[in-house]
Amino acid sequence: MGCVVYSTRMSDFGDYLRKVREQRRAGDAKFSVRQLAARVGVEPSYLSKVERGQQAPPSEKTIAALASELGEDPDVLLALAGKVSGDLQAIIRRRPKLFADLIRQFKDLPDHAVLRLVREVRDGDW
Amino acid sequence: MIELERDALTFSFPEVHPQATLRIEFQRTLRIPDDDRTYPLPPGLGAFPMRHVDDHAANVPSKWLQRGGVMLPMYQSEAMWLNFSASTIQDRGESYPFAIKVATGKQCAVSGEAWRDDLRRKPQNYMIAPQQPWLDGYVVEKGLIRQFVAMPLGAGYSAEEQITGKAEHGGLQLAVYPMKRDIFERRFPKVSEVKRSRGSAFLEGDDAGIHCCLSAEFDMALAPGGRMRQEIFDDPFELDDWNLDAGGRCFVHLCNSMVWQSITGTVPPHPAPTAKSYTAAGLPWFDYYDDSGTAVEGTSVLGNLKSITQMSSEKGDVALPENETVTPGNLVVYRKGLKQGQVRESVF
Repeated sequence: MGCVVYSTRMSDFGDYLRKVREQRRAGDAKFSVRQLAARVGVEPSYLSKVERGQQAPPSEKTIAALASELGEDPDVLLALAGKVSGDLQAIIRRRPKLFADLIRQFKDLPDHAVLRLVREVRDGDW
Repeated sequence: MIELERDALTFSFPEVHPQATLRIEFQRTLRIPDDDRTYPLPPGLGAFPMRHVDDHAANVPSKWLQRGGVMLPMYQSEAMWLNFSASTIQDRGESYPFAIKVATGKQCAVSGEAWRDDLRRKPQNYMIAPQQPWLDGYVVEKGLIRQFVAMPLGAGYSAEEQITGKAEHGGLQLAVYPMKRDIFERRFPKVSEVKRSRGSAFLEGDDAGIHCCLSAEFDMALAPGGRMRQEIFDDPFELDDWNLDAGGRCFVHLCNSMVWQSITGTVPPHPAPTAKSYTAAGLPWFDYYDDSGTAVEGTSVLGNLKSITQMSSEKGDVALPENETVTPGNLVVYRKGLKQGQVRESVF
């Protein structure tokens, strides 16, 4: 698996959003700005400005709705928007020192090493 | 390797193939009436929340910790179905094949036999993905299942209690085996090498005292509910095609929704709507056809199970409230060829 590092310039979110939406639109007209905006509950003009980097990225709720509509990972879209999801913030706030240390220690660890730390479901005796 | 990701179990086998991944999601749904009719497929109403049992070690019965695995909340008489989604292998344009075993109370939901850590052909005790997109209940005869419905373990209704006479395990057990890689690559050549049409590829190819009491309050078991049209497909491959050395298994504890919040601190989902109110709202039911496979016959062990309503009338009890017959009007038909991860879903 390749290492993907996401930067957080304001226009990155818009550029990425437009690229993905246009790809989807090539195969399905329901991914026009107008129709997508209606489905996620924002004005088409607002979504258009976000795509062009003229507006800051929308709220976490709207980004999650966009991710769901476009089949994208919500955490990746949030990262591009310079945000961290509310549930991750809550996890860190509950044990701030532990998770801050953990993230700092692992910040340069290669992907394959991080994947080794993935938590597996434990099987027992049954 | 089994992970819990976004309320679904992901079985991956990087030692067999880097992209061999099967996702199993547990869908909330409405309970179909348990009467003398046969119903189409009910909708998916979203995934049940799931947790590692280890994360709530202080609050769950010691038996659950001994078994490991995960847990999800179910109300009494609530129904569920399992959604299977196999990953697509990029250079083949095909999903990686998996053999999937599903048991409730350690009794196989396809064959009715007691749990065993292997695959068996006669009677077939497993399903195959991607051909089998979902499982809604016990295979009681060819093309017919009885819906999975939660009842308290120990109340006598569960398939486990009807078959074994004991209320010992409850819950739901899964095992997944990938196809051997060399077999997969031989049966499914790279897209550029394929001369035939893609559509035909598949065919060719204890602290006893207190914890016992606690466990009885916590544990739900699955019992046979109403009848539904659903085919469980025969395995078109050879038994030796499956890699039994690479399998992964998981115990899914079914936690009574009434105690879920005291264990996890989170509220369980609202109960599903009744079949009557769902149908009256004009919302869709589903049918699925795949003419390329043949269905397994079903065994007498499961065919002889009594449904919850049949058992409760014998007891002079009413175990399933709001069990009125309905006539589904809005029927959506799927043919073979679901998109990856597609769930039959409806907004309610």
